[in-house]
Amino acid sequence: MSALQTFLLVVDHDKQEAKQIAERVAQDVENKKTTLIEVVQSLGEYINDDDPILRGKAVSYLTAIIKELPAKFLSRQQIQVLTTFFCDRIQDGGAVAGLETLQKLDRFNKPLAEEVARAIFEQFEELQSRSQSQRFQVYQLLNELMLSYRGALHDMGDESLVGIVDLVTGEKDPRNLMMVFSILKVVMVEWDISNHAELLFDSAYNYFPITFRPPPNDPYGITAQDLKDRLQDCISSNSLFAPHSIPSLLDKLDSTSPNVKRDALNALIACIESYDPNTVSRYSITIWETLKFEILNAQEEFLSELSLQVLTGIAKRLSEGVSQISDQLPLAQYLRPITKECNEQLREPQQKQAKPAQQILGAISSASAPAFTLIIRAVVAPLLTIYQEADGIAKQRALLDTLSVLFDSSIKVFGEWTSRDAEVAFENPLLEFKDQFSEIFGQALMGAIKEEVSFRISALKGFLRLSVLRDFFQDNEIGLFVQYLDEILLKEESVGRDDLKKEAIVALTEISKHKPRLILDITFPTFVATLPDSVEEADSGYLNTLDVLAKISVEKDIFETLVRRLLSKLNILLQQEQSGSVEYPRAILLTILYVMNQRKMEEDPNLEFYYDKIVASLCRSAAVTATSTTTSNNILSDATVLDILGRVCNLLVRALPRNKQDEIAQNVYTLFTSAAEFQPVPFAPSPSADQKRTMILSTFILAGLPADVQNLPYTTNPNMSALLTDIATRATGETELATQYAFLRHLALLANKFLPKSDLPLASDLFYTLLPPGSETNKVAPGTIHTLFWLSKGLILRLAPTTTQLLTSLLTLVSSPDEETSLTAARSFSILLRDDEILSATNGANIRLLSKQRVFTTLTPLISSRIREVNISTSSSTTPQETQETHHIKPAHLTALSGILSTITPDLVLPELPTLLPLLLQSLDLSTPHSTPVRLATLSTLAVIIRDNGVPVIDKCGHVQSLVTRLLATTAFTPANHHPKLRVDALTCLYLLAQAPTDAPALARAGRLSPLLAVKSQVVRALRAVLDDPRRDVRKAAVDARAAWLRGVDDAPEEED
Amino acid sequence: MASEVQNSNPTILNVADLPTRLGSATLSKADTDRAENLASIFPPSAYSSDWPTALHSSSDSSDGEEEREEPIDEQEIYDLISSISDPEHPISLGALAVVSLPDIAIKPTLPDVPDSSLRTVSVLITPTITHCSLATVIGLGVRVRLEQSLPPRFRVDVRIKEGSHSTADEVNKQLADKERVAAALENGTLMGVIAKMLETCR
Repeated sequence: MSALQTFLLVVDHDKQEAKQIAERVAQDVENKKTTLIEVVQSLGEYINDDDPILRGKAVSYLTAIIKELPAKFLSRQQIQVLTTFFCDRIQDGGAVAGLETLQKLDRFNKPLAEEVARAIFEQFEELQSRSQSQRFQVYQLLNELMLSYRGALHDMGDESLVGIVDLVTGEKDPRNLMMVFSILKVVMVEWDISNHAELLFDSAYNYFPITFRPPPNDPYGITAQDLKDRLQDCISSNSLFAPHSIPSLLDKLDSTSPNVKRDALNALIACIESYDPNTVSRYSITIWETLKFEILNAQEEFLSELSLQVLTGIAKRLSEGVSQISDQLPLAQYLRPITKECNEQLREPQQKQAKPAQQILGAISSASAPAFTLIIRAVVAPLLTIYQEADGIAKQRALLDTLSVLFDSSIKVFGEWTSRDAEVAFENPLLEFKDQFSEIFGQALMGAIKEEVSFRISALKGFLRLSVLRDFFQDNEIGLFVQYLDEILLKEESVGRDDLKKEAIVALTEISKHKPRLILDITFPTFVATLPDSVEEADSGYLNTLDVLAKISVEKDIFETLVRRLLSKLNILLQQEQSGSVEYPRAILLTILYVMNQRKMEEDPNLEFYYDKIVASLCRSAAVTATSTTTSNNILSDATVLDILGRVCNLLVRALPRNKQDEIAQNVYTLFTSAAEFQPVPFAPSPSADQKRTMILSTFILAGLPADVQNLPYTTNPNMSALLTDIATRATGETELATQYAFLRHLALLANKFLPKSDLPLASDLFYTLLPPGSETNKVAPGTIHTLFWLSKGLILRLAPTTTQLLTSLLTLVSSPDEETSLTAARSFSILLRDDEILSATNGANIRLLSKQRVFTTLTPLISSRIREVNISTSSSTTPQETQETHHIKPAHLTALSGILSTITPDLVLPELPTLLPLLLQSLDLSTPHSTPVRLATLSTLAVIIRDNGVPVIDKCGHVQSLVTRLLATTAFTPANHHPKLRVDALTCLYLLAQAPTDAPALARAGRLSPLLAVKSQVVRALRAVLDDPRRDVRKAAVDARAAWLRGVDDAPEEED
Repeated sequence: MASEVQNSNPTILNVADLPTRLGSATLSKADTDRAENLASIFPPSAYSSDWPTALHSSSDSSDGEEEREEPIDEQEIYDLISSISDPEHPISLGALAVVSLPDIAIKPTLPDVPDSSLRTVSVLITPTITHCSLATVIGLGVRVRLEQSLPPRFRVDVRIKEGSHSTADEVNKQLADKERVAAALENGTLMGVIAKMLETCR
């Protein structure tokens, strides 16, 4: 049997075998054992067979052989012969593949390409009727020719154009269409299409709009968007399409489907961007006439936005190359009907359609300087006339808003003072109206009655825009505005929510970025002058002033001046004999803290200065004040003042360079004093209360230092043990809350950040000295309990090896028969993981990522099993005395749990939900007054669980009914739910239940009803009573919850229309 | 809602100008409001250091405040219905001035029985144009919202404001007729429209 016969037999079922046969023959040809002619001759009997399948196989035999031949093997003449042969046989299978192989060869040439193309075009009807993959092959061949021999096809001119269009007509497969669109686009862009523009356009536009939806698991991954993009490229590729494309696309806007309209508008945008300006101009007014309805009567927000983009795009194209603005420009002709329509709509500016008119003007005028100028010329004068004649403030306000929209465009076109881009060649047309604007907006802002807040805010916003607009106002004109703002802030009484003042502050802040000088020259002196020099003079007005100063001091110069002025004010206050109230100096320090927090202090050039004046000098004063018995100025011995001062110091210490920090370390306890002036607190025999209070400062300073700082006192020689013990003892015995808090945090800080890893046993030793093993059930003093918890906090955050033992020991305290011990310990669990300003990541504290998870997963099972024990023993025990002893234990454990829950992130909770949910539900059953915080914490945990995970999670645990019942019980106005926040939070949980994503479609598909349905009537009925709660916020929450249940919980899955 | 839009260009009030409780309440105690100003830029913990027991002591402090009773007043009714959206425009009834604060009244239902807690809320609605056929739908929407949101001791009375509608009597009769209201609420399409109006309620 010949190779050919074998090939014909196997080609259908064994591709590999067929390929091997072809390889062998190709080798024979290559080794001259046989010739190509012989091969072709051997086809003879099959190639004229009546069976097209057999013919196809024969041709593909030849193709397979050619494919296996080396690229340079075939001579030019052979290629020519083969090409002609394949072209003649193009309707037979395999010929297209053969041609594709041939055209890749080096010796293939332009005339041959033409011959191939012609063959394809002549047989297009036959090729169209083939299967998808064979058509794909044809397109691929054509595409290859386009890539390599485009000149040949191009020279064929209309012949190739019509040929390609005929070939691709009727194609429906998305994969083929992707290729068809890209071939068509080449023709559209590069061919002379003037004779066949419509034909060519239709060949692509027939597919508009694309409604293709890719099948699931589509191996080719072609999306509708891919097709839309390529189609859009075709439609927008040539200006000659405009007479066909634009009317057709505009027609599509009559469609009822928003998606079709979206595609049409997107295509319009593409057309306008790529057609030449003259063409765009020709259709500009037609487009406007159609699109204006889309904007004025917008059905969907996005359609109106896209329409605005189209209109703006036209204005941009028509502005190209415009150097002289005149009424004869195509741009002017385009804008004329638009401004006319908008002027018409704006005559009644507070009516609904004024808004779209504003949007149109705003969008188009931001297109370019010429467009802006033409619009301003047409629109502003009429607006000003309407303003003068306006009969009401509502109308005037709407006009001010309209002008502000135009100012926004002006900023987009001409830039702000701080803009870096090049200046615009045109003059800002608004300059003509500068004085009028200044007068109108100034009058509206300052001349209107004070209650017209929203009107004045509109004026203020407009004025602000003009003030930041580049090269518009002179400095003195902006200065006038600044004065108005100052006056509003300083002299005016508050009105309503003080919105005007808030806006005034925003405006000053904004101006300070553009014109810091004006703020420094005008606002600063005025404001600082109102700050009193002594506490007696201080009324509450200074808070207002400081607030404003703090907010506007973003700019570097202003910030620096502010801090210096405030420090000198503070020093004046500190030098007075009688200090009086500390609120004013504290507010000054707070202001400094606030502004420093806003800036990157490590980059501040004046850092050294602030260090000297604040950290060194003020801390020293505080220390000296604490020792002195004579001075009666007690500002620096007030705990809250020290707290704020400490925060400022902390911030500065962190920002300082390393060598400075090493220097500070020596002064953590001496506070920059000499030994004669002040005795450091640690190891002092009997420090006074004032003296001990300076530990607040020491703690904040220590917190700002890096963990490996040098020269820290009392930490070596031999180790930190003595210092830890001293601080712990002082913390345990301290009676003043603020000081005790400082000691506790100091202890935690040392244990967490400065205790070397090798010395960790020192801290555990201290723990067990304070709480000897086995003594957990005795009465323990609250001071000791707090110390234990803070020490543990420091250790647990760094996940010390003893973490689990520490947690277990702490939890045994909760089981103490002594009720006070148990309750204090339970409440202290919230300390462990609570965010703390001292032990924070910002301060470089040693906080391991897994610490929260560790605490939660260690404690929850313990608490859960302990509560179960208690539940069982109470139900079985008979003696009242026994119950008396343990009745507090269950609530105490629930309290401990709520303390932990309130300090961890909800995602940690979810895996433990089945254990946790019963505990949470039991917490809701508590009804003692003490339980209010526990129940509040529980409700907020529940709210987060419900909000993030929805009903299914709770349904899975099988607790929907019991949860809803308890929530409803908590909403009732009873003595147990005395605290209104309890009722509000319970209602919020109910609201979230109905509101949360229940994955309704999935349920409906599964034929299941919402798990909430069973309790719906119960909820709706119970909430009706809550609607009469005496508190308004509770009623509001009840209304929302009830509405959500009425609306969100469907009685039965509704049929889709 | 296949019918033509009847009033395509109504006048719209600015949302900031609508009556709110916040505005009137702070007006009277502006001074305390000002003192809170500074606190607005600092976290509360920066202002008064949070002692370890803060969490637990705070719950008792608001006791005095809890005693305060806040009866349901006209503003509360206004807040309930002003955020309903108009069936024709995506704009609230408040902004369209279809409902307004002075047109809401709460009166004892039985003035002769001083101890009775029964109250009647009457709301007058002002359609944007005098021949608005959707007035009934708006009236129904207001009625449904109030019936869902007020306790059972409240009677709801929704009417068209005198002189603001050409067929006010007709509409009023329909809105006052319990059976006709009930029948209307059985109508699925109508309830769909009303549910859509109530979606925006805050």
